[in-house]
Amino acid sequence: MATIINPQAKPRPPATPIDLLNNDTARLYTHIHPMLVLSLYAYKFRSIVEDPVPALTSTLIPLSILQIVYVAICLPPTGGSGSAAAQLEKRKPGEKKKPAPGKLESGVNGKIIPAFLSLVLSVLAATPLLTATLVLFGAPVTTHHPHTFLCAAHISLLATLPLVYVHGVDGETWREIVALLLPIDEVYGGMIGTVFGAWLGAVPIPLDWDREWQKWPVTIVTGAYIGYAVGKLVGGTLLKGRKIMFE
Amino acid sequence: MAPQTLLLTLANLLIPAAILVFATGFFPYKPFMPGLAEYEELGWGERMGWKEGSPPKAPFDRLVFMVVDALRSDFVFGEESGMKFVQSLIRDGSALPFTAHATSPTITMPRVKAITTGSIPSFLDVILNFAESDTTSTLATQDTWLAQLKAKQNGKLVMHGDDTWLKLFPDFFERADGTSSFFVSDFTEVDNNVTRHVPGELLENDWNAWIMHYLGLDHIGHKAGPRSPNMIPKQIEMDEIVRTIYTAIENEDHLENTLFILCGDHGMNDGGNHGGSAPGETSPALVFMSPKLKKITDFTDRESPTKPKSGEFEYYRMVEQSDIAPTLAGLLGFPVPRNNLGVFIEEFLSFWDEGSDRIQLLLRNAKQMKRIVEATYPSLDFSNEGRDITEECSSPKVLHWTSDGQALACKWQGVVQIMSTFATIHPTLRFMRAAQETMSSTASNYDIPRLVLGTSLALLSVILAYFTLPSLRPIMPQGLFFAGTLLLYSINMFASSYVEEEHNFWYWATSAWFFYLFVSESRKEWYSRFISHPAIVLGIIHRVIRRWNQTGQKFAGADDIVHSPLLRGSNSIIIWSLIGATYMDISLRLSRHVARSISSFDEERSKDLDDFESTDANRFMGMLAVLPLGATAFVFKLAFTARDAPELTKGINEGILEWVEGLSLVGGARMVFAGLALSAGWVALAEWRRARRRKTGEGNGDFAVALFDLISLFLVTQTKAQNIPLYLLFRLQFFFLSVLDLSPTAITTTTLLLTQTTFFALGNSNAISSIDLSNSYNGVSDYNILAVGFLVFISNWAGPIYFTCAGVLLLGAHGRIQRHIDTAELDQRDWVAKEREHLERLVTQERALKERRKGGSGAWRAHVGLLTLWTGVSLTSVMAACTLLRTHLFIWTVFSPKFLYAVAWGVAWHFGIVVGVGGALWGVGKW
Repeated sequence: MATIINPQAKPRPPATPIDLLNNDTARLYTHIHPMLVLSLYAYKFRSIVEDPVPALTSTLIPLSILQIVYVAICLPPTGGSGSAAAQLEKRKPGEKKKPAPGKLESGVNGKIIPAFLSLVLSVLAATPLLTATLVLFGAPVTTHHPHTFLCAAHISLLATLPLVYVHGVDGETWREIVALLLPIDEVYGGMIGTVFGAWLGAVPIPLDWDREWQKWPVTIVTGAYIGYAVGKLVGGTLLKGRKIMFE
Repeated sequence: MAPQTLLLTLANLLIPAAILVFATGFFPYKPFMPGLAEYEELGWGERMGWKEGSPPKAPFDRLVFMVVDALRSDFVFGEESGMKFVQSLIRDGSALPFTAHATSPTITMPRVKAITTGSIPSFLDVILNFAESDTTSTLATQDTWLAQLKAKQNGKLVMHGDDTWLKLFPDFFERADGTSSFFVSDFTEVDNNVTRHVPGELLENDWNAWIMHYLGLDHIGHKAGPRSPNMIPKQIEMDEIVRTIYTAIENEDHLENTLFILCGDHGMNDGGNHGGSAPGETSPALVFMSPKLKKITDFTDRESPTKPKSGEFEYYRMVEQSDIAPTLAGLLGFPVPRNNLGVFIEEFLSFWDEGSDRIQLLLRNAKQMKRIVEATYPSLDFSNEGRDITEECSSPKVLHWTSDGQALACKWQGVVQIMSTFATIHPTLRFMRAAQETMSSTASNYDIPRLVLGTSLALLSVILAYFTLPSLRPIMPQGLFFAGTLLLYSINMFASSYVEEEHNFWYWATSAWFFYLFVSESRKEWYSRFISHPAIVLGIIHRVIRRWNQTGQKFAGADDIVHSPLLRGSNSIIIWSLIGATYMDISLRLSRHVARSISSFDEERSKDLDDFESTDANRFMGMLAVLPLGATAFVFKLAFTARDAPELTKGINEGILEWVEGLSLVGGARMVFAGLALSAGWVALAEWRRARRRKTGEGNGDFAVALFDLISLFLVTQTKAQNIPLYLLFRLQFFFLSVLDLSPTAITTTTLLLTQTTFFALGNSNAISSIDLSNSYNGVSDYNILAVGFLVFISNWAGPIYFTCAGVLLLGAHGRIQRHIDTAELDQRDWVAKEREHLERLVTQERALKERRKGGSGAWRAHVGLLTLWTGVSLTSVMAACTLLRTHLFIWTVFSPKFLYAVAWGVAWHFGIVVGVGGALWGVGKW
């Protein structure tokens, strides 16, 4: 059987939910962001139904800009070695006393670059994995390859980009993410919501309504967008800090 | 008996009671009027100047009735049709074309009933269609145009073709040659059997009706769909036969007054199947031909080939299939059959120049229908007395749906009043059309109290089953998943698309379930190579299984693995390798069981050992003993497929094919069944001996595993060749499920999901047309309803049976390798503490599973309880849907078939397999 990574090598601090950056812009923008994302999708919906491949491709660019702006404004970037929360606490006291040396420079170094890295990672690593998952869940194998791939790209931009930004690429953290072991916060809630929404998005396909929008992968992407907004909202407010219990 | 067991028994007994009560309310016995119709007193004789008992003179005295099975309208009338001669007759005016609307169920027997009696057969005929020998389904005692023509002077009938006619009309025919559609791959022989009689019968002048029923076109449809390359040549072949017969009618004196009808009994959908109510299935062609028809075709539509008037298949005028019977009655001069609900096709009225003759024909038809209406609404007034109807017929009540009968009574009064003043045909036609519509919708008058009672009984069973379940707290995700599945399923049953596409629900839920298992396992331990995680592999196999057969309505005929070129034609060697591997796998497993059993008779070794393994010699003997069974089963499958689906054996060596085609199929199947029974008996004896001698009294459940493998071989024998590789995948899934350490609830959930998934993955759906009959005569030489019914169930529910049994083995962990570790012997100083921990965990796990198998924890009862809950919920929701949606457009095409399937699941699967076979496996698992 497969090897089992020994988790006891180094005791880890219990994971804490991700908090927003402690400023008003972050607190405000985190609520504006899902509205912007949904509006973008609503605006593009008609053309996506008409011809999914070019429309979904062109929507990727504004979506990634929106996601980058969101993580840069609202979320603490991953701290490299330590956990995100520790990084946050270190930064908090220093925030008021010291005037930031070269605000623009540190903003680019500390936020924009990690955000772009998350974008690259989620496109390059998460999208193929998600494409495989979609196929596993019943996406067509022999046809509609660009459709499925674009669908996975949208899901990965929505779900994994913020996760990579706040958690980095630590294997153990990602194991916890997949095993639903992390406490819920708006980033994690957004991911769960996106995946769950995409899964529910398959429901209307078999109906005999003969609508254009029933075609692959419109309902899945729609489900993912709605799921993202709902999951982010619920994860950031109602269920924040809760853990998902299995047994 | 524990109170919970009592409750569970009660819940289970309520299920058949609920089904019975509901079914009697849903499919009421439809009374029909016995005896042959006679010309009756018509009334208004003085005014119209007709004499009682002397009907208008019939233009024809002989009938050639040619049925081409599944002759869809476009096969005759369309631009791509191969039937050029028929089209030339239409242009010429010697043929009158129609599209004859066939009501669902669109399968041959009910359609023949509709054509011959003019009635609208009840849905029960579907069941009787499969139980063909049932005498209640014959039409020998009913009034049909065959009976009427036979009752005429010199009435002699001749029949060639589909033996459904011979079963429906026993001893009716002077000469007959029946063909049965046993092998669907037979495109030519079935038709040549009919055609060879054509020249001879055309010279005879003793018959007054000659019926032909060609099956080849239907077979092509079933095999390769309406766009098969064989379709056009077959149409041309049929066209040539029409030409032969028509030319004879034109030229031979004794055939001068012959009416020639060409029609389909039903159509086919894009997948080439039928049974439902898609436009393609309900639109067969109907053509009346005779040189005499030129008299009446002056003003009719003669364009041919043409385009459909509306929709895809509605060519020319749409008439009802039941209209054929009264039209024949008028054209050939006999009374309209008693149970007829058809309306005389008005185009033919022009044969009679006298207006009074026309009125008389329609009036006779109308009076005959009125009798049925009267019998249905005994309280209403359908007398010939004119009375003042303005009050009762203008009240808004008439428009209300409850008083359909009242509306008919008013229309009849309209006829009466018009007859006594000035006669025209329109009110009569209006009455008949309304009667036809009303009576075909009340062809089943639901008994609402029974429907409600049946549904409530099913609900009661759900409630009882619920209370037998072990404590629901703490709430577990797998419990939630099970409950969610049941809830979503019950909602789905109210939407016709989800009933048609039910497989998608199960595929969707099963994918999610395996993903859940992956997540849940990942919480315990993390596989670095997660692609080989058992749950992921399960998901990948599931993905392959669900694509194996395309099923459902919406995407019927879409690409799937079975029809891909990978497995067809010269590539069929691939599928046969997979089939061979499946047989090999099962045979190897069986040989191990036989080896064990041989070793149990080894007195020396059994003295001092409890459970001993077989020696190499035992294994070799076991292999030798099982080889004949496995080989016979494989050769039987090859021989059967060579005849049933020759396209799958194209890549096989000719010599081998020639050899297997010489083998007797019945004998082969019987040898396999006998071998299975023999092996089961032998292994049972050995295991029983072993169990009796065992000192500790703790067996490993090997006999249950042996039975499971024997059942698998039986199921494979009852499965179509192209589906057999699926059993390899099932076996893999079973293995990976046993690797995952699932809780009892999770095992029950898996059982439910996989039984449903595999049912659909094997190509079944909720449509009657998807029932596979090809393996239902294995080993049966003469018709035996019990044996055939049993085999039909086995061959269609093979997947569910497989996973129900597999679920039992998973639950009891039967046949798992036992480690027999004694914790006391574990070394305290063992420096690998983790190893010790691991071993201890294995020991507790093993003990828990053993405990479960012994029945200590009530695992079996909980398993049956949950599955009873499932059966109850599914039946309740289907019954509630059928009750609430009884006026729905799709009630007879979607919901009723679903109810029949739910009955099969509830009775045959739940009782026979879950409780019966599963209980037996569980019981012998303790040996």
